[in-house]
Amino acid sequence: MRMRTLRRVAFAAVAIVASVSAPVPGRAADIVIGVANWPSAIATAHLLKALVETKLGKTATLEEASLPELFAAADAGTVDILPEVWLPNYRAQVRSYVDKEHSVVLAPRGIPARQGLCTTKVAAEEYDLHSVEDLTKPETAGLLDTDQDGRGEIWIGADGWNSTNVERIRAKSYGYDKTMTLISADEPVAMAGLDVAVALGEPIVFYCYEPHHMFALHDLVMLEEPPHDPTKWVIRTPEDTPDWLEQSTAATAWPVSFIHTAYRSGFDDDAPEVVALLSNLDLEADAISDMTYALIVERRDPDAYAAEWIEANPDRVARWLAE
Amino acid sequence: MTARHLLVAFAAMLLTASFAASALAQQTSRIYDPSSNQWIVYDPAKVDRDATARGVTPERFKRKLVPFRTSEPPGTIIIDTDRKFLFYVLPNFQAIRYGVGVGKEGFGWSGEVYVGRKAEWPSWTPTPDMIERDPSLTEYVTGMPGGIENPLGARALYLYQSGRDSLYRIHGTNEPWSIGLNVSSGCIRMNNADVEDLFSRAPVGTKVIVLKQGAALFQPS
Repeated sequence: MRMRTLRRVAFAAVAIVASVSAPVPGRAADIVIGVANWPSAIATAHLLKALVETKLGKTATLEEASLPELFAAADAGTVDILPEVWLPNYRAQVRSYVDKEHSVVLAPRGIPARQGLCTTKVAAEEYDLHSVEDLTKPETAGLLDTDQDGRGEIWIGADGWNSTNVERIRAKSYGYDKTMTLISADEPVAMAGLDVAVALGEPIVFYCYEPHHMFALHDLVMLEEPPHDPTKWVIRTPEDTPDWLEQSTAATAWPVSFIHTAYRSGFDDDAPEVVALLSNLDLEADAISDMTYALIVERRDPDAYAAEWIEANPDRVARWLAE
Repeated sequence: MTARHLLVAFAAMLLTASFAASALAQQTSRIYDPSSNQWIVYDPAKVDRDATARGVTPERFKRKLVPFRTSEPPGTIIIDTDRKFLFYVLPNFQAIRYGVGVGKEGFGWSGEVYVGRKAEWPSWTPTPDMIERDPSLTEYVTGMPGGIENPLGARALYLYQSGRDSLYRIHGTNEPWSIGLNVSSGCIRMNNADVEDLFSRAPVGTKVIVLKQGAALFQPS
């Protein structure tokens, strides 16, 4: 879904990684946790680090990269934990590293997540903008037209995210690729655009996914669409074929999505108690959204915040640590 | 000064600006005057006189403290080049909103840059493109000193990316009536009082996010 470095998130990650206290000199950290480049992945990576350090007596370092790079690193044995693998978005990597190579293990528990197109509650009410079908109407094109070229503009994600290609397929399948210009751009730029639209009371439609702090920052609603239908959901990727867009169709909502933790094969022998923690981890989307809000919007120190969170949630943590 | 060479016709609500050669301007051009709520025939000389006499920025583009919920840290500048506003993020979900003018060819990109340099009463050197469009600029080929006639106005913030000058600037103007329009060459223009205010707040290094909803991400050349 988010394969390329998001500049701002990456900056945040750099700052966060830099703030991590170095492992004891002369001794490598026990565990390497991959930090993928989107807000919730940064939050969960820090929580896991704090858990293994304060509760399991180990040391951990954070390794920042895109998720496909982290999959390759886990395959090579240089990264132990992938805190957030989104499905169906990273199905291709799971197929290759988990199902085929058996070099990465996907923890069975999935945290439900969702993705689709959002607008602001104000715009939904004021302009009667409720469903994805509305996007094919000329009046909606006019409503979302920011540059007076007769077409509306919709941000569909960043270049390189798997989801961005799926959003192109969805736009083609629903037909709003004819009324809207589909913009791919770094997430921080798109989020600043959302901030401005809200401040000016202007309507906006954009790709959204949850857990994410944008839902706490702004009053957003997801556009309605027909429920997911696997028979109408045929996704080819640019790696499959150059004609991926023509050969794909997706005129329904995304399936319910899931976030799984994953780890390199053999890590369960090296650190069974950590793998037990990964398997037990049942964070709700709300809890993850709260964490991203604290780290990204409130710019809390991630280590201090994670320690505080663990202290404030003793029952949950105890459950996760049970064998 | 650009006003002399441009035909400006725009709808008050949409603030759509369109342009044509100045030869066509004489008969067809009209301009909406927000202070009198009237369309007036565009006469560059008269506009210059009126602008000088009034010296005002249209009402909706005046500097204002507004609520602004964002994850960007205080001190960030966010510019919406389509809707002609610049936000300077303050703590506690507030921002100062300023009206801006945008280069007549618009800002063809969006993305993240930063203030690499600042100058008071900056000098200005027209680019070869500008001189080609307007040969009278030849006399400034080696630079026009800062001052009241200088198109960069009272202050300039030079926008950089990856250590290099992007050639885009946030600058002042001595034609405050033009705020909200697509006139001038390339840059983000503010009235002098506003650019002085922004200049005093935003240090070198300030993060600047430029939004153009219809444009792909800026790729540095």
